[in-house]
Amino acid sequence: MAESHNAETLIGLVSQYGPSGEESGAVTWLVERMRSLGFETANIDETGNAVGLIGKGPRQLVLLGHIDTVPGEIPVRLEEIQPGNLVLYGRGSVDAKGPLAAFTDAASQGGQIEGWQLVVIGAIDEERDSIGARGVTGRYNPDYAIIGEPSGWNRVTLGYKGAAWADLMAKRKMSHTASGQESACEAVVSAWNEIAGWVDKYNQDKNRIFEKILLTLRGMHSVDDEFEQNARLSVGGRLPVEFAPDQWYRKIREICDPRNVSTKEKGYPIPAYACDKNSIVVRAFLSAIREQGERPGFVYKTGTADLNIVGPVWRCPMVVYGPGDSSLDHTPDEHISIDEYNRSVAVIKSVIARLTSPSEMDHTQSALS
Amino acid sequence: MSTNCPECEAEITFEEGTEIGEIIVCPDCGVDLEVTSLDPAAVDLAPMEQEDWGE
Repeated sequence: MAESHNAETLIGLVSQYGPSGEESGAVTWLVERMRSLGFETANIDETGNAVGLIGKGPRQLVLLGHIDTVPGEIPVRLEEIQPGNLVLYGRGSVDAKGPLAAFTDAASQGGQIEGWQLVVIGAIDEERDSIGARGVTGRYNPDYAIIGEPSGWNRVTLGYKGAAWADLMAKRKMSHTASGQESACEAVVSAWNEIAGWVDKYNQDKNRIFEKILLTLRGMHSVDDEFEQNARLSVGGRLPVEFAPDQWYRKIREICDPRNVSTKEKGYPIPAYACDKNSIVVRAFLSAIREQGERPGFVYKTGTADLNIVGPVWRCPMVVYGPGDSSLDHTPDEHISIDEYNRSVAVIKSVIARLTSPSEMDHTQSALS
Repeated sequence: MSTNCPECEAEITFEEGTEIGEIIVCPDCGVDLEVTSLDPAAVDLAPMEQEDWGE
């Protein structure tokens, strides 16, 4: 397989604008790119994901990135911001075509490895309901997995918070405003205030944001006619590992039910997930980053990612990794440094070599026996 | 194989099977340490844990 340290895969993939629901052009392009880079097979799976395979196994390393982006096309352009320092602007350059392209380049450069199958997946729909990741959870049973999101080339992401959304709804008969009777609007606001107060208490002794519940009010709506008032608040909770979505919904109901405020769960609830920071995969990343002359870092994210979907199912050593500054996620200024991209490709290539080396296999098998 | 904690200088002795990249805890000051070399034995402060918004 030809060695390539440029950024053709990155530039090509970012050039295929593909927000969630419109990924097919980017998926087709990536499958073709995988074939040209020497993947043994590259196809579109039944969910619509791009999947490239190198090697037959029986052991399996899955590199799962997402190929969709948020909407908002940014003209793709390379700019030299300093002599020799190229930056690529474009939607998805950071979140998360950069990490996915890096997986593709690193896997192809390493080539076939005896006893292993490398699976690179460009999953669709991560920015909405993660249909792509949900489609692959039962299809693979990896020994190790790397999920693609921007951690920065010298950091490893160890966890993502969970999330759960709900509507709080109240219905009341119309009454005179001087009557002193609680209106539908007052009922939902009162329930919101109690939930917020409970969240404040829960968070009181927590130091890290990752351990706290983050409460958000996402919408307010009320209507009335001559006889009835209706009010609705849409609330969201970003949840810690210790607090599952089911617990969150129970707590909301416990507060709302006595107030005659009904609750309705919305969307897909997502539990938080944290990776073991002492796993074989983390060790491989720490050594690979140090090999590049940098001190590694760990990061925990307050958003959600495909890790939340595949982590609880695959239950293997895994981390989240990829080039890019995640503060640029979803912004009109999204861009990535080509130098950072190439460093991350070198790190991933080194990690693949470490995880699949015969000595690592011997070590893992003796640990399991 | 032994080395010293970069934080408190306590002696750190590696157990059998210790690996490069492994996170161990200093028995004296409790700080997390990353094993960066086995021979000679060396440790560094473990990666800082940061928190970020986003994906």
